[in-house]
This record gives sequence, structure tokens and C-alpha cells, in this order.
Amino acid sequence: MSVVNEAQTGVAAGTETFEPKILAFACHWCTYSGADLAGLNRMNYPANVRVLRVPCSGRVNPQYILTALNQGVDGVLVCGCHPGDCHYVSGNYYAKRRLMAFRRMLQYTGLEPERFQVRWISGSEAGKFRDTVTSVVEQIRAIGPYTPDPALAALIDKGTDAQNPILPESVAAGEGGDAS
Amino acid sequence: MTVLQEAIRKRAAELLEAGEVVRVIAWGSGRFANQTSPLFVSAAADAEKIVFNDYCVNTLAKYALNEKVDGKIAVCVRGCDARAINRMIADNQMTRDEVYLLGVPCSGMKDRATDEVLPKCLTCTHRNPVVYDELLGEAVAEPAEEEVSGLRYSGIEAVEAMDREQRLEYFNEVFNSCIRCYACREVCPVCTCRECFVDQLRAGWQGKQNNLNENRFYNLIRVFHIGDRCIECGECARVCPMGLPLMELNRKWIKDLDELFAAGEEGLTDELDNTLGRYKTDDIEEFM
Ligand code: SF4
Ligand code: SF4
Repeated sequence: MSVVNEAQTGVAAGTETFEPKILAFACHWCTYSGADLAGLNRMNYPANVRVLRVPCSGRVNPQYILTALNQGVDGVLVCGCHPGDCHYVSGNYYAKRRLMAFRRMLQYTGLEPERFQVRWISGSEAGKFRDTVTSVVEQIRAIGPYTPDPALAALIDKGTDAQNPILPESVAAGEGGDAS
Repeated sequence: MTVLQEAIRKRAAELLEAGEVVRVIAWGSGRFANQTSPLFVSAAADAEKIVFNDYCVNTLAKYALNEKVDGKIAVCVRGCDARAINRMIADNQMTRDEVYLLGVPCSGMKDRATDEVLPKCLTCTHRNPVVYDELLGEAVAEPAEEEVSGLRYSGIEAVEAMDREQRLEYFNEVFNSCIRCYACREVCPVCTCRECFVDQLRAGWQGKQNNLNENRFYNLIRVFHIGDRCIECGECARVCPMGLPLMELNRKWIKDLDELFAAGEEGLTDELDNTLGRYKTDDIEEFM
């Protein structure tokens, strides 16, 4: 869980030093090629984004999104082919319905809309990839780090062992164990 | 009510006598006069133990899944039970000829503790069974067409109206209170996976800690898995030992699907037609 520690304690909220960590799910056939093209063209975009290649935007299970947020990223971006261009014909249409509803649910339960976004970016749209990533990073930088569980974050801040937050200090330090 | 109770007892005894079914699922008396529990009757002589009163709070359909193994069974179905049966047929959990449906009209059940009509019954939109082999008693009046969306969504409008921070606080409180007993999953007629994602230890979707993150993960993914097929029976919220407003999560999802993709109510037929399992090429676009 080093991700959590780094993301939640390495930087203090609201200071200029905050560098958001963004996870971008990029579909292999379009967006990943688009990102590749951005690289080939020596385009500059913020290094805050980690690109994770998936076969299709339809492969992005909402469980991935929640897991990423829980484990310390500050924002998630899902990118796929434009509707009609899916390599598997219909994957992005399913993804669209699913993620539209899921995004509304996340906002309903209190997540900032900026923290989870979806964009269609084709293999030739290197510029759009750069612009999207740049704007997402800017937005997240403005709203600050994500603390999904304030109580857990407070424990980490205090330097308590986050994996065993309820252990008394003596036990955590290995004293007073069972004699047998 | 007593007329209906007599009718159920009579038909249950006849069906068992004739050997048409091996078991009848109905309600039986509990420890107190205002308490009932599901009752499984397999001998005609036991049919007189069936009760039907204001406190038959359990939706019976899900029990049919486990009980249909050794022959055809009969199930008492009200609106919610009948929609649950349709749901399970659509989900390939059973076939229509595995169950004999005794239709029972229902105008709402009461909470034993408060003696008030259950929240799930206050927002019910189908009081008569939508599918049955025979209807016992007289059909009751259904809510008017224009009342339906009010009934379904009035509970979440107040939550939607809050600002983001308030909603965050509200739902953090809800998720913090969840003890992850998984009762909401067990009771749900939509949750019929042989192995639930929370039990897939090797995949490790669901951590075992009881903290806000894990509880939020569980509740949001539960809604994601059932959302487009939920029949709005309200059982999950009824059985939650922590009294969490789970219908406020379910109905948000349902309302969004309804507004975005004209999803409509689920469980009215046994056709599989879940909203997230199909798409239209001209679906509304917001990710450009
Ligand atoms: S029934 Fe209530 S407490 Fe139990 S897992 Fe479901 S939401 Fe949590
Ligand atoms: S999620 Fe709740 S309301 Fe929906 S079908 Fe399952 S138990 Fe019924």
C-alpha cells in the first residue's frame, strides 16, 4: 500500500507542492495509439498521468475505478474509441451506458465530478490526448488530493500502522505477545 | 384477509393432495401475533399452519430458488414476489414451469415494531401479482399512472437536492454504519450469482476490513451489479440490520437509467432486457 502512503502523506493538501496522481485507462486500439502518437510528436503533457492499457473501454470494470481511488490516485480518466469505431464493434457503447450511470452514482454519493472522467480519443487525436490529460491534471490540482476515508488518512498522518490501525502500540511493537 | 388466508390454505392442501407440487411456500405464524416467517409446507395436513395477515413482510420468491430442487413447487406471489419470479426466470435461474404461482393481491404490510405500513409497501407500484397461475381473492386498486414516478422517486429527491458536501457526509455516514453482513445481498432476488464478487478471495475485489473505503466499495458495486435489474421490492432495505436507506442508492441508479435510456420498471415480464446489457447507437452522448 505504498501508493496510499505516498499519495496521502507525501504532500499536504492545498500547498503548491501537491502533484496529483491520475490513472488513465486507455483502450489499446485508439487512445493508447493516440498517446503513442503524442509521444512520437514530442508533445508535452504532465507526468502526473499513469497510462494503463486495456483491450477496450468496455473492459473497464467500475470496480477498477473504485479500487484505484481507494488506493491513492486522485483522479481516474477512462478513454476509448469514439462510438462507432470500437475494434470489437460495440464495447464502447456498453461502456458508455455503464459509465454514464456509474459516474452519476459517484457524484450522488459525494465525489467531485472532476475525479472521474471519460473521453473518447482516437488513434490520430494525439493533441486531444494531450489536452485532455492536461486539463484533467489542472482540475484535480485545483481541488486537491483525494481522501476517500478521512479517518484512515488521519491514522496514516499520525504515522500509525495503517494496515493495523486498531492494534495497541505495545502489540504493534511486538511486545507482550502470547507466551506459548 | 381471513378469506384470503382460507383460500390459500385450501388451494395449498389441494395442490399437495393431488401431488401437483411437492411444496408450498407461504407465510406461517411467528412467536408473536404480529410476526410471521416464511413457511414451507410439504404435507396437505400442514396447510392449516399457513397464515396471511398484515405482517407478511417477507418477499418469498427467492426461497423458491433453493426449494425447487426436488419437483414443482407452489409459491404465494404478491406484486413483489411475482416480479421477483419474473426476474429470476429472465436471469435463467428457473423456468416458468418449475413454479406454480398462487396470486395474492396485497395492499401493503405493516412493520411489527411500529405498526405502520412498511416503507417498501408505501412506494409499491404493483400491488397485484403481475404473473400467476390463479388469482386468489379480488384484485386491489393499483396506484394511478401519474402517481407512479412520484412513488418511486420521492425518496431520493431530497438527497439529490443536497449539495455535494452534504451528500458526501450523508453517504459516508451510511457507509460507515454498514457492518457488511451481506443480508442485503442474500435476500435480493437479483443477486443470484453462485459466487459473489465479495467472496472471490483470490481476486481480492473486496477487502475484509470494515472501514469506509471497503464499505463504500461494497455498496456501490452492489448497486452497480443489480441496478439495471432491480425490481424495487425494497427487501434489501427492510432486512438491513443497520437500517440503511439502500433504496436511496438503488433508486438513484434506476432513475438515471430511466431518464437516460428509458429503462422502465423491471420484472413485469420474464423477458431478459436489462438496460446495461444492450445499447443504441444513438444513445445520448456526453463523453466527447
Ligand atoms: S444489510 Fe445493511 S449492514 Fe448488511 S451489508 Fe447490506 S447495507 Fe451493510
Ligand atoms: S436490490 Fe433491493 S429492491 Fe432491488 S431487487 Fe434486490 S432486494 Fe429488491
